[in-house]
Amino acid sequence: MKVSEATLVSPSTLDECLLLLNDQKHSVQLLAGGTDAVVRMKEGVWNPDTWINIKNLDALRYIEEVNHEIHIGALTSHTDLVESKLINERADVLAQAAKEIGAIQLQNMGTIGGNIATASPAGDTIPALFVLDAKIELRSLTDTRLIPIREIFTGPGRTVKKSDEIITKIIIRSQDEDEIGIFEKLGPRKAQSISIVNVAISLKMGEKPRECLEGKIAFGSVAPTIIRATKCEYMLKLNPLFDDVIHDIASAAWKEVMPISDVRASAKYRRNMASSLLERGLYRLMKRWEEQ
Amino acid sequence: MKSKAKKDVLNEEQKLKWIGKSVKRIDGPEKVTGEQKYKTDYSYSNMVWGKVLRAKYPFAKIKSIDTVKAEAHPDVICVLTYKDIPGFNGFGIVTPDQPVLCEDVVRCTADAVALVAAETVEAADEALDLIEVDYEVLEPVTDVENAMLQGAPKLHKDGNIHSHVTIKNGDIDAGFDEADYIFEHTFYSPRQMHAFIETEGGWGRMEEDGSLVIECPGQYGHRDKLQIARALALNPERIHVYSSPNGGGFGGKDEITVQIYLALLAMNTGGRPVKIHLSREESVIAGIKRHPFKVTVKTGAKKDGTLVANKVRAVADTGAYASLGGAVIALAIEHASGPYTIPNVDMEGFCVYTNNGIAGAFRGFGVNQVCVGIETHIDMLAEKTGLDPIEIRKKNAYKQGDISSLGHVVKSSVGTIETLDKAAACDLWKNRDYYKNQVSEPWKKRGVAVATSFHGVGMGIGTPDYGAATIELLQDGKFKVGVAIEEIGTGNGTVYAQVAAECLKCDINRIVVVQGDTKQTLDSGTISASRSTYTGGRAIATAAPNMINLLTEEAANLLGVSVSEIELAYDRLVDAHDHTRFVTYEEIYESLHDKHRSKRVEGHFYLPKEKEELKNSGGAPHHLYGYMTHVVLVEVDTLTGQTDVIKVVAIPDVGKVLNPQGLEGQTEGGAVMGIGYTLYEDVLIEDGYHKTKNFTDYIIPTIRETPEIETIPVESNEESGPFGAKGIAEVVMIPIIPAIMSAIYDATGARVYHLPATPERVYQAIQESKPQSLISR
Repeated sequence: MKVSEATLVSPSTLDECLLLLNDQKHSVQLLAGGTDAVVRMKEGVWNPDTWINIKNLDALRYIEEVNHEIHIGALTSHTDLVESKLINERADVLAQAAKEIGAIQLQNMGTIGGNIATASPAGDTIPALFVLDAKIELRSLTDTRLIPIREIFTGPGRTVKKSDEIITKIIIRSQDEDEIGIFEKLGPRKAQSISIVNVAISLKMGEKPRECLEGKIAFGSVAPTIIRATKCEYMLKLNPLFDDVIHDIASAAWKEVMPISDVRASAKYRRNMASSLLERGLYRLMKRWEEQ
Repeated sequence: MKSKAKKDVLNEEQKLKWIGKSVKRIDGPEKVTGEQKYKTDYSYSNMVWGKVLRAKYPFAKIKSIDTVKAEAHPDVICVLTYKDIPGFNGFGIVTPDQPVLCEDVVRCTADAVALVAAETVEAADEALDLIEVDYEVLEPVTDVENAMLQGAPKLHKDGNIHSHVTIKNGDIDAGFDEADYIFEHTFYSPRQMHAFIETEGGWGRMEEDGSLVIECPGQYGHRDKLQIARALALNPERIHVYSSPNGGGFGGKDEITVQIYLALLAMNTGGRPVKIHLSREESVIAGIKRHPFKVTVKTGAKKDGTLVANKVRAVADTGAYASLGGAVIALAIEHASGPYTIPNVDMEGFCVYTNNGIAGAFRGFGVNQVCVGIETHIDMLAEKTGLDPIEIRKKNAYKQGDISSLGHVVKSSVGTIETLDKAAACDLWKNRDYYKNQVSEPWKKRGVAVATSFHGVGMGIGTPDYGAATIELLQDGKFKVGVAIEEIGTGNGTVYAQVAAECLKCDINRIVVVQGDTKQTLDSGTISASRSTYTGGRAIATAAPNMINLLTEEAANLLGVSVSEIELAYDRLVDAHDHTRFVTYEEIYESLHDKHRSKRVEGHFYLPKEKEELKNSGGAPHHLYGYMTHVVLVEVDTLTGQTDVIKVVAIPDVGKVLNPQGLEGQTEGGAVMGIGYTLYEDVLIEDGYHKTKNFTDYIIPTIRETPEIETIPVESNEESGPFGAKGIAEVVMIPIIPAIMSAIYDATGARVYHLPATPERVYQAIQESKPQSLISR
């Protein structure tokens, strides 16, 4: 299919979109912010008969608190997340991650649903969604299912989403007053860069100084998909997070990851950076916790 | 103080109205609003699209090329191969060793094999896929040292060493014998990309009169015209090249880019205009790059800080073709011992062919790669001896009239010591301990360092360097100033307007500058070699008196007085005895027009040259050099190796500053490009294939990587220059490179010898230098 011969349709409702996705005769491709889709089109990787432009499906663009959970419409832009009071107060790690994505222009166009669908191992919002126990709602014409984020990715660029499904909603837990999160990213430069390694952390703190009751850590760009650092998570609960403990926990991080070498960094460096970013993140978190 | 007093006298004497002022860019509003159109922004209703088929392999024999299927495509207008080239199948500024379209062999993936013109971009792309090229793949030559070995596959019939230059002075062995300290290191530099905003592209079209028009951004339209003519076997007078404005050049559009392809296609499209505009991906592969160098430097010094010997061996990877590679390595060797008086030097450089793309001209032209050796060694010497790094540099710097390391007497102005004095006195250097202590987190370390360097202005010996300008009086009383030298983003047109307005004593709004137009302007050389302000400015200053004579004579006629009684007043010519009697430029135009007299004058200027070329040096020494010192503050995150340049003090000696705002534009742009070179940028090529495809992985600094940059100019009046000016555009990105490298060392104790100093390389160097606890407690 030539790009110039492809059809572009813009459904005005979700039902209309689901109907289009159900079309068995033609190949279809969803187009939300276009920050990944257009690149793939130009590379010749995606050449569908029909582009389904969902950018204007405003029904899928919302952020709301429901029973101690936060529901985020799939077409919510990264800028929406950055600017949301609710996200900043109850899911700080996601707000920070959204702010680290590419450049402002990409944050304005790109959507959280698109970031999940692209399924890049370096996707910046995904580690944050891991530590916030996200559940992803997938809908087709006939079915609605809710998949935990840990089960959604099958490999780089691959998810369990079927071709007739669309990501409609992301449900995350709302952090309590005693919870605190951070996103750390190492890219080749500060802005407009793809993560060499990134990490999201969400901690539940106790009464005692630097006491951590529970914590979640997720790394990006160090495995075929985003991964949780379960060994480090256990260690968080053993001792108060003073600097030497942080250092020890961070030192264990390299055992959690299995990165590859590519044009951006060597596997060895990525391993070391998993430790460095975790150390930097925990240090900054504790500093912020004590200042609160 | 002395020079300031001298400058004031100069200003007072000349009462300068435009020179030395921050006159706003004449093309500023259009550039800022985006209203200005580049050549590649235009479209025509009857246009066709041109595309280039690039080589599939970095090194292969072509057994056959079959275009039948591509030609059968309904939307294809023509498919061209080497057989369709009427003239010489080659181009190259100095050595035309690059085929326009390859015939029997491809030497890099930038090579062009065929051209297509089609109704749409999509059809052109499809046609490229339909061209069948049968290759016999060869093992690529990718390492410069291996390429130089006997028995390496030869890329060109004379072998893989394109050029070998040497400069020797004194007795190198005796020099090292008397040295108390000897430092020897090998430095590797990146394949930097120009990364201009406008990729290579343009238009070709045949006019009804059979002449050929090429509208294509370039850095020397008159030379492009000759290269096109050679390939087309066409009278150059029948070719008109419009090469300005450019969406950035930096040397990357000095060589032919797509002009000859446009010309060939335009001759085969039945008069329809043809456009080629490279995608960023094609530009990365096909465009020239900065030469990656391997430089081994051995420096000997005495305990008192005197440099006594410097031995340099530099090897440049020029890729598959020469372009300006020979000149780049020559300039590198000329500058490899710094602006110093080292009595014993032994320097040699090799320019070597490989199958790694193509390298050519790039801002700095070889000096970026070699300046790191001598400057790093001076800092090492400072550390060993405990001497001040600025004092060591001052002690060894040559002054005007001194003998340089090359052994020649430097006759033009030299500002090195003044730039170093200003560096020593600047806030960042004086209070460096204070700044270094301002770290925000315990694993961050800060460092401050200084470096100085220089850069030749204009071409070396053996390359004629010449400027010409025309000034034409227009009907509305304005002056059309024609200088062929293109606008590539530098703002030279504004300087030309300033010089013209100053010389003609008129308002700057009366000056209309025409650049990059072979039909309207005289050949005035390249926009390169930091030469355009100096050469273009001097050419205008030479033309201006001719215009004043023309105006004065006609004013005398009109006022009925003798020529000696006419005074040039602001915006008019007056009777010296009676200032109420005057004539306007409009009146003069009308009078000349009625008499069918020419309203146009010319000015020609030859750049001063040294008389004797250093044997085997490839063109050294230059007559003129610009000098520069940088002081930088960096912060290194020792957890990750990320380096942040926080503050830059740029201290250029560029002769008289003609436009302070323009100068700051250069010092700031140069600093950022130098930061990119030192910390981020490299086009990675493996086995002849580009691993770096586009800006996703080619990292240039953004505004977030841009530090505070302070500019403190030193104005060493250069007698030969227009109003005392020299060149600026290249030296501004040079000393910042070793300065950042040394500041990283100052911060962390780790030295990086392989640029760019990416986080991974810095982190590794820190790990190797000393085991550090991640958080200092």
